[in-house]
Amino acid sequence: MILAALFLLLLPFITSFKALASQMLIFAIIAIGYDIVFGYTGLLSLGHAAFFGIGAYGTGLSLIHLSVPALLAILIGIIISLLVAFPIGYLAIRRRGIYFAMTTMAFAQMIYFIAFKWRALTGGDDGLHGVPRPHWGPIDLSSELTLYYFILFFFIVSVIVGVRIVNSPFGKALECLRENEDRARSIGFSPARLKILSFVISAFFAALAGGLYALLQNFVPLFTLSLDISGDIVLMILIGGKGTLYGPIMAAMALVFLKNLLSSSTNIWPLFLGLLFVISVMTFRQGIFKELKERLLKV
Amino acid sequence: MDYHFIFMHLFNGLILGSIYILLSLGLTVILGTLGVVNFAHGALYMLGAYAAYSVVKLFGLHFVVAIVICPVIVGVIGILLEKFLISKLYKLPHYYNLLLTFGIMFFIQDAIKIIYGPQGVPFNIPRFLGGSVDLGFMLLPKYRLFIILLTGFLSLGVWLFIDKTKLGAIIRAGTDDSEMADALGTNISRTFTLVFGLGAALSGLAGVIAAPVQDVGPQMGMNFLTGAFVVVIVGGMGSIGGSILSGLIIGELITLGIIFWGPVSTTLIYVFMAIVLIIRPRGLMGRAAFFE
Amino acid sequence: MTNKGLKISVVLIGILFWLGPAKAADTVRVGVITVLSGGQANNGIVDLRCAQMAAKDYGTVLGKKVEVIERDHAYNAGIANEKAKELYEKENVDVIVACPNSGAALAVAEQALIHKKPFLASSAGTSDLFGKRCNRYVIKWGYNDYMLATTVGLWGAENLGKRWYTITSDYAWGHDLLKLFTAALAKKGGMHVGNDMVALDTADYSPYILNAIKAKPDVLVLLNVGPDAVNATKAAIEYGLKKQCKIIHALLYEQMIQGPGVEIFSDDYVAGPWNWKVGYPGAKEFSDKFLKAYGERPNYSAAGTYSAVWQYLEAVKRAGTTNPEAVIKALEGHTFSDMFANPGYIRPEEHVEVQKAYLFKVKRPEAVKEKDDYFDIVGSLSVEEAYGPPGLFGCKMKGF
Repeated sequence: MILAALFLLLLPFITSFKALASQMLIFAIIAIGYDIVFGYTGLLSLGHAAFFGIGAYGTGLSLIHLSVPALLAILIGIIISLLVAFPIGYLAIRRRGIYFAMTTMAFAQMIYFIAFKWRALTGGDDGLHGVPRPHWGPIDLSSELTLYYFILFFFIVSVIVGVRIVNSPFGKALECLRENEDRARSIGFSPARLKILSFVISAFFAALAGGLYALLQNFVPLFTLSLDISGDIVLMILIGGKGTLYGPIMAAMALVFLKNLLSSSTNIWPLFLGLLFVISVMTFRQGIFKELKERLLKV
Repeated sequence: MDYHFIFMHLFNGLILGSIYILLSLGLTVILGTLGVVNFAHGALYMLGAYAAYSVVKLFGLHFVVAIVICPVIVGVIGILLEKFLISKLYKLPHYYNLLLTFGIMFFIQDAIKIIYGPQGVPFNIPRFLGGSVDLGFMLLPKYRLFIILLTGFLSLGVWLFIDKTKLGAIIRAGTDDSEMADALGTNISRTFTLVFGLGAALSGLAGVIAAPVQDVGPQMGMNFLTGAFVVVIVGGMGSIGGSILSGLIIGELITLGIIFWGPVSTTLIYVFMAIVLIIRPRGLMGRAAFFE
Repeated sequence: MTNKGLKISVVLIGILFWLGPAKAADTVRVGVITVLSGGQANNGIVDLRCAQMAAKDYGTVLGKKVEVIERDHAYNAGIANEKAKELYEKENVDVIVACPNSGAALAVAEQALIHKKPFLASSAGTSDLFGKRCNRYVIKWGYNDYMLATTVGLWGAENLGKRWYTITSDYAWGHDLLKLFTAALAKKGGMHVGNDMVALDTADYSPYILNAIKAKPDVLVLLNVGPDAVNATKAAIEYGLKKQCKIIHALLYEQMIQGPGVEIFSDDYVAGPWNWKVGYPGAKEFSDKFLKAYGERPNYSAAGTYSAVWQYLEAVKRAGTTNPEAVIKALEGHTFSDMFANPGYIRPEEHVEVQKAYLFKVKRPEAVKEKDDYFDIVGSLSVEEAYGPPGLFGCKMKGF
């Protein structure tokens, strides 16, 4: 625990530039939420970038047009994102498995194209430029280092909340739902309610991360809503080990770091990521330990 | 209302519809029989186009040779993918294979970029199919007419194969209930491999045919992929007839969108997809309780 | 934290320490942000190579060596933003050049203002860089949307025809160009008979060509680039439109033609600030040297990057320091001559580098005598005509 705390406190000095450390934390926050909906509840959403992006745009637009303090802007971004997450979740959970995934993807793509077209609001594919970084009370957030600790604060809060959620009766109910939906229903849980709640909670984390991202970059690129980001989020959970919470957190941080490192050294880094993706899906599946055990037992 | 103009567009829309049909035939067969959402389908399509480029430009063979060989090449690649990667994940929840094909798609795309370069390669219409045909109401490039006719033939062929032949019956049985089919003695894993290979080959063929009219580049599959998924879902997963029908509908819808609502046409696809998924996931001709 | 988690984090810390912050060096550091992966990589690498060549050719400035540090932004504005931060902060570069993709360039321009270091935007076209998003640390070098649209618009309306049909890529750059094109057209009494907005990466342009055929234009203007331009042109050929009218491209250069082949683009028109046969002293030598080293000729955007790096170093020499404000002041209002611009002038009001603009026509295959020799020069426009009067874009300079 102390090691982790030390690590996080010193992170901005260890990484090559401070904004990188901030970004690692931001994606870790998304990972916490996504692990809840995918790892613990078993719902594969392919459109989570939508909530990340909406949070970012919401925050950015509030900061530019409403000149509100940073915290309020982030809150606005979160609220808007939740308002979108609720209907999407409601509609999507009516189907299971792949249909659920495709529905989330369809909605995310719709949102992407709306943002693309609505240039007056979002800046289209230029992105939303000129997002300011207002002071938070006496604290000046324009320094990258200060902003890092600001984001660290939210990260710690997210971790605590995340751990609380998965260890609570609600979290256990989610796991029960993931394993066997019919049995969960027979015990008395309402699968629909649990699923929607889980979905919206994960959107909350993504939106929070989005708001922090807008502050970090002073700019919201359209890219935040893209399928690539959704894919990255899934990858983080897969590599980290779904349903463990700390696994996805570390995987998220490692992936952000790796991406930055790889793209600075080689031009074919997308290939490595694709390979990594394939390998993680093939090897980090639940069956592997069971298979190994059975093989060993047979011999 | 210029009816002649609209009709011209609608006829032209058949071409777009044809490419969607070709793509979705393979996709729906794989999805229906194996239950695998093959995100790599677009990449296989792209491989078909690059294979055609290699055969025609690098080895100097005739385009007709490409139409025959390249689907086979892509089919073999598909078989290898299935045998060594995809089949290992059948016992796991469906999203594992979805994610696997997702990763394979990126991998194939980037591998092609490294081998052939990222900017795309030139591929022009073969001379014997060049020029235009005067259909009376419009001038249609001969090659595009060729696409429409070939797709028509192929659709019929695939449908007959699945519906009338013994192998087709085995595939249909496997789709309905793979465990039972396995218990009754058919080698279901070999059937699955075959089906994936067939789907891949169809996709590769689509790539070969589309190569002269598209820009052959590493990204070419991505653009059509989501549309293909919409076609499959709207038509009904596993239904050949559904794919053909919805391929035509979607192709025409997009074309109409272009005439009347301009750039919104891209968003229309996703709206349509979402509507179908929510209201009637089985699509037009699929079977119920598939993933509901 | 479990044991496994502990071990992993220890390893991580170790790695991070090892790969940690770069050490400062006593050189002049030129940062290059360009696209090195993805569909535009073959263009992006030419930018980089020109920057490297410029640094090497220049040698030393103020007794220090010139170092070029590159970063790949994959044609993405979000990544460009991050790379700009990394270059300015971690790598401590003195200047950033290139950066194709208008959205990306705007992001980098913002970072230049935040970090108070110069950015010579030589690879992206948007007029916002010297318009509503201008700032004193940014100089737009080489071609820009206004110059492209106006040059072709004014010259084309006089020489090619009055009825124009446009097919536009539906994103920021396309919209910008369309606005500028139609304005130029109107000045010469041309008629805009129709437009289609087409999403990026569209494969099948036949419906739009059909629309165009119906409108019976004299000129078809393709406001797109890369694969979209190729597909649109191919469709125009197939449906016989190319036989009925002329085609103008917003952007077309050697790397775009190499892939599909020159026959597709023969007899098409495009504008640009430079071509290796334009006759400026040093232009042909520069292009030949690049050809010898890399097997292809640089396009005008990359040549602009070479010029930007060179002039930056000259400015450092003149100012006697790499201090950003001093170097910027040495560049503002400065007139210079090099292989790219002869003369070139940097307008202090809005930080755009201006020079004579040319009209090019793509050759037929049989006329192509040497590698990448695709263009004939058919016309030119003066600076005033091509770039408009200073202050046209409402730049309110902020910075220092």
